[in-house]
Amino acid sequence: MPSVTLPLVVIIFGSGAMAGCVGSMLGLGGGVFLVPLLNLALGFPLRTAAAISLCTVIATSSSVSAGRAGTQLINLRLGMVLEVATVAGSLLGGLTAHLFSEAALQRLFAVVAILTAIAVLSRIHRRNVILDPSVQPGALGGRFFDEEIGATVTYRVKRLPVGLAASFAAGNVSSLLGLGGGILKVPALNTWCGVPVRAAAATSAFMIGVTATGGAIIYYGHGDLPAALAAPAVLGVQLGSWAGLRLAERVSARWLKLLLVGILLVVAGLMFLRSAR
Amino acid sequence: MSREGATAQNGADGDRVFELAVGRLLGIGVALSSICLAAGLAMTLVTASSRATGALLSTGLWLLMATPAARVVLSAVSYARRRDWLFVSLTLIVFLELAASVVVAFRR
Repeated sequence: MPSVTLPLVVIIFGSGAMAGCVGSMLGLGGGVFLVPLLNLALGFPLRTAAAISLCTVIATSSSVSAGRAGTQLINLRLGMVLEVATVAGSLLGGLTAHLFSEAALQRLFAVVAILTAIAVLSRIHRRNVILDPSVQPGALGGRFFDEEIGATVTYRVKRLPVGLAASFAAGNVSSLLGLGGGILKVPALNTWCGVPVRAAAATSAFMIGVTATGGAIIYYGHGDLPAALAAPAVLGVQLGSWAGLRLAERVSARWLKLLLVGILLVVAGLMFLRSAR
Repeated sequence: MSREGATAQNGADGDRVFELAVGRLLGIGVALSSICLAAGLAMTLVTASSRATGALLSTGLWLLMATPAARVVLSAVSYARRRDWLFVSLTLIVFLELAASVVVAFRR
């Protein structure tokens, strides 16, 4: 591990701020940008990059969910059910992380970056699932006031096993690669389980804190999480995501998504190249 | 916001109070941890790293990781109060999974 110097701290803080800013503008955690910055640009081992990123994921999850509390966007019950699967996934990821080589993790990261790009592209035009207002939410469904359409949205949760499977996979990828895993959960909850995008994103962001904690603690115990390097990343991401939320209103979402897709493909290419060396 | 509609189903009223409590807990946790991390980082840069700076930084990380775990415990207590045993069991499973992560992390 490099020694903690002021320039390094500033660079990590800046990387965190940038990742948090772009991430929150797009409704992503930012880990998908932070991990490659730490791994490819600063040369940290992917395990360390993932561990640092997981800390920022926890911080983002806690502060975003604290801000959203009371809006009923977060489906607490559904979150609790899915957490059983997602934390199990993260535990498995943490247990098996040392079995993968650096190159294998980089290739896995590249694949997830490409999948993320595809998910973002496919959502560029689509608005949301159309919901039946007379539906009863049932035991796991929810109801919230959607400011965009100016009405109360009610939904039921369908195909729970699919949601559980996606959450398990998300938890696994989360602790292996240092991502939140929202990119797997949100499309799955929306497309197959019938949860509106905003509720799916809020519930996913809420769950991510617990998921990332499971992974982060394992890295910490194994000595892969240097606190002095995680601190600037955590602080930077919080500043960045605060700024990103304010910038998001002024920037065209379409342009932003295309930019994101470009960045993700470059990241995937670089990860593949590096893993081949 | 139509509170009436929201409260009609499955104890959603209790859920709303609970949601606010959870939000407060998460906000306080992340704020405390950020303060420790910022102070620890500042001290690391100003002075040479000492026992105190290391302790501040690791306290910051522990607080960060303890916050979601505390939220799980708060959830279990809240569901137990409402005698919602299915959800008490689910939150306890999540807590046990987190405890297993701690065991995996620190077993020697």
